[in-house]
Order: sequence, then C-alpha cells, then structure tokens
Amino acid sequence: MNSQTQPKFAKGIRLRHDRDGSVMLLVPEGALVLNRSAAAALALVDGKRRMGEIVAAIVDRFDVTPQRAKTDLHELFDRLGRRGFIIIRQPIDEARAGRSRSARGESSKE
Amino acid sequence: MNAPRPLSLLCEVTYRCNLQCPYCYNPLALKAYRDELSTQHWCDVLQHAAELGVVQAHFSGGEPTLRRDLATLIGEASRAGLYTNLITQGTFLEDALLDRLIESGLDHIQISIQAPEEKVADRIAGAHVHGRKVQALERVRQREVALTLNCVLHRLNHDAIGEVIAFAERLGITRLELANVQFYGWAYRNRETLMPTRQQVDRGEAIVCAARERLLGKMEIVYVLPDYFEEFPKPCMNGWGRQFMTVTPNGYVLPCPAAAAIRTLRFDNVRDRPLAEIWRNSESFERYRGTAWMPLPCRTCERREIDWGGCRCQAYLLAGDAGVTDPACSLSADHTIVAGLREGATNGELIPRRA
Repeated sequence: MNSQTQPKFAKGIRLRHDRDGSVMLLVPEGALVLNRSAAAALALVDGKRRMGEIVAAIVDRFDVTPQRAKTDLHELFDRLGRRGFIIIRQPIDEARAGRSRSARGESSKE
Repeated sequence: MNAPRPLSLLCEVTYRCNLQCPYCYNPLALKAYRDELSTQHWCDVLQHAAELGVVQAHFSGGEPTLRRDLATLIGEASRAGLYTNLITQGTFLEDALLDRLIESGLDHIQISIQAPEEKVADRIAGAHVHGRKVQALERVRQREVALTLNCVLHRLNHDAIGEVIAFAERLGITRLELANVQFYGWAYRNRETLMPTRQQVDRGEAIVCAARERLLGKMEIVYVLPDYFEEFPKPCMNGWGRQFMTVTPNGYVLPCPAAAAIRTLRFDNVRDRPLAEIWRNSESFERYRGTAWMPLPCRTCERREIDWGGCRCQAYLLAGDAGVTDPACSLSADHTIVAGLREGATNGELIPRRA
C-alpha cells in the first residue's frame, strides 16, 4: 500500500447511505458502520483514484493532519483488503503481475 | 421493552426442494407450508422490512430458485435499498436465470456443496447433482456478483474438510463457509448419525486454522463451530428479536428460522398483521427479547449479553422448555443431555428429507 495504489471494491461490496445520515459498508452477511471520514474516503473509491488523492481529499474536508490521515486511511484500507472487501492494485505492477500470475499460482500450491 | 432496529430479514420463499439432504433444518411436516405467499405479499414484506431499517435480505428455502418470481422479489428488495443474498444449492442456476437475477440487483450468492467428492456429495444430496453445482460455481465466478461456497459439516464428510478447502482453492473461491450441522428439523431427527466425533471436530479446527493463515487475504474462511462441543452456546440470532427475523413460505414471522418447532409460542402471520407490528409488539418476539426473561444461571451471568442465553429452539427441543438456558451451555442444568447426544453418535441409517 502506498500513495499510488488504486483501491477498488471487490464484487458485492458497496456503501449504503441511510436517511439519518449514517453510512454502512455492506458486505456478504454483514454491515460495517463507518465513521464520517471513513465513509467519505470509501465514497471516493472507484478503482481509478489513487490513495494519495483520497488522503488529500480527506485532509481538505476534515480537521486532520496529512500524516495522521495517511496513517489512518492506509491502515483502514489494509484491513479491508485483508478481509477481501477491497482490492489493492498497484498500477505500475500491472503488466508484470499479469506475466507472472501462472508461475505464482503454481508455487503457492506447495 | 422498546424494540431494537432489525438488520436482517430471511425470506424462506419456499420449502420445496429437489434434494433430500438429511441435515436440512426445514420442519419435518412440510405440508402446511405449501400455501405460499403471493408475489405481492413478498413485495410488501420487503418494503415493510426496509422501512423498519433492515439492510440485508436473504433469500433461502427450500430451494429459492424454484419460485418463478425470484428475480422480481430480488428486484423489489434491491430497489428498496436492501443488500440481497441468495442461498441456493445451485442446481437450477443456468445462464439465463443467473443473468436475470444479477440484472435485478442480486449482490451475493451462496452455493452449497455436500462434499468435495462427487460420489459422496450425491449420496448425501440424494440426487445426481454435484456436477451441476460445480458448473453453477464456475458460472457465478465469471459474473459481477459476490460468491460464497458453503459446505455443511457432519460425521460423514468432516474428515474431508481439507479437501473442501482445496476444492474451493481450485475454483478460485474467495469466501468459504464451513458450518458444522445445527441440529434442527431433519438434522435433529438424524442427529445420532450426523454427530461428528470429538476427534473429527478437533482435527477439523486445526485444519481450518492453518488454512486461514495460509490463505490470508486470498480466501476468507468462515467456520461455524459445532455448539454441542463448545463450553458456551452460540449467540443464536445475536439475541431473540434483536436484529433478525425470518418469514416462512406461508407468511409466519419467526425470531429464529427454527422457531416453528416451539409449540408453546403462537407466531403471527404477515397475512393478518403488518410486519412492523409483529416485530415491535408480537407476543412471540417480546417473550425472549433482551435479558429480563432470563432464568438462572443466565440472569446473573457475565456473558448474558454475549450469547443471550443461547438458542430458544434448542432449549425447547432438548429440555422441553424454550425459557431455560440453552443446554449447549456447560453451566446449564440440562447440559448432560448434550453430553449424552455428543457421545451417542452411531453409524446408523440416515432418513432422507422428504417433501
């Protein structure tokens, strides 16, 4: 995870905005209640925007230092990534990842 | 007491099914459920649930794809803002139906297999269907919808738990649910033969733990423990009437999908009373809501808001009283019943589910 990462939602993962203003991340068989800044950050996830842009937008909108926002958001996205809700993509690695996919697949079976 | 906000609605749209799994939790007497709700009834239920604050609608059965209006119901739920989840055995998931369901807004599909190996799987299902399920899994995986592979674990397939995980890996599954059989309905009737051994349970848990670590970030493995083997009971439904409700094919509203077995409660029907009123005020939902109803040892237990006294249906089935501590709890006065069942496992004949 770094500022160039382009996060996107995995299949079946989406945000829900309630009438009372609360926001949830809906996932298979569950719902995570989000605080306002997490909700605002996740609302910017579209598979194209980079982490750097998402962090900058949150710094603009909330009373938070750039360093703090970066640490918190990278941690949040990492956590969601480990649970399979968000797919973390590195744009630069894309071509290389494609070429080595089959080799990696085989070695991971060991 | 004030009713909390319900989060989840289980729509059991039909109890019809072409399989005969001996662990089915559906009621033994299915005749009463043939008078199914109409499309309009179900649409009203979904609307009312959304107005109550429900965020997830699960479509199950029986086999839900046997309802011809399933895509209509999923469309209705989706337009009402609900997250939609289809729980199916997958034997009818042809391309055309699958596309229609996804176009209607389906978010997530759970497909169950009976075992990783065809011969065993077909024997448990009572039909030659494993191959069709594998095809359905492939079809779903190629489409824009979340997928979970389910496998119910019991004495006959518990030793194949590692093979289930390997099967899921081969198919590129990212979410796997391994649920130990829960003893309700047909599973309760077949409990002696389905009961896993202590050795199977311990071995299974070790395999799941190792696989979780190895597959971190690639596959999420949800493991549902066998509560007859636990020290404390499962927090059934996260508490009676707290987050969850089930509507049966003929319109009864239940606090737990197995609750119809409780003969001492009278349940309300959406044909007679609005869903919101049933959730908030009905006798059946109020009866075991919160902690005020609890007897000892639950009443003074520090876990009373963790496991909520366990399962009311299990208390009724095993101890004959839905108002006592779940006998699965080691602190229950009736716990010896569970110990007896746990050790009473036999290799007897299974009674297949019948319609």
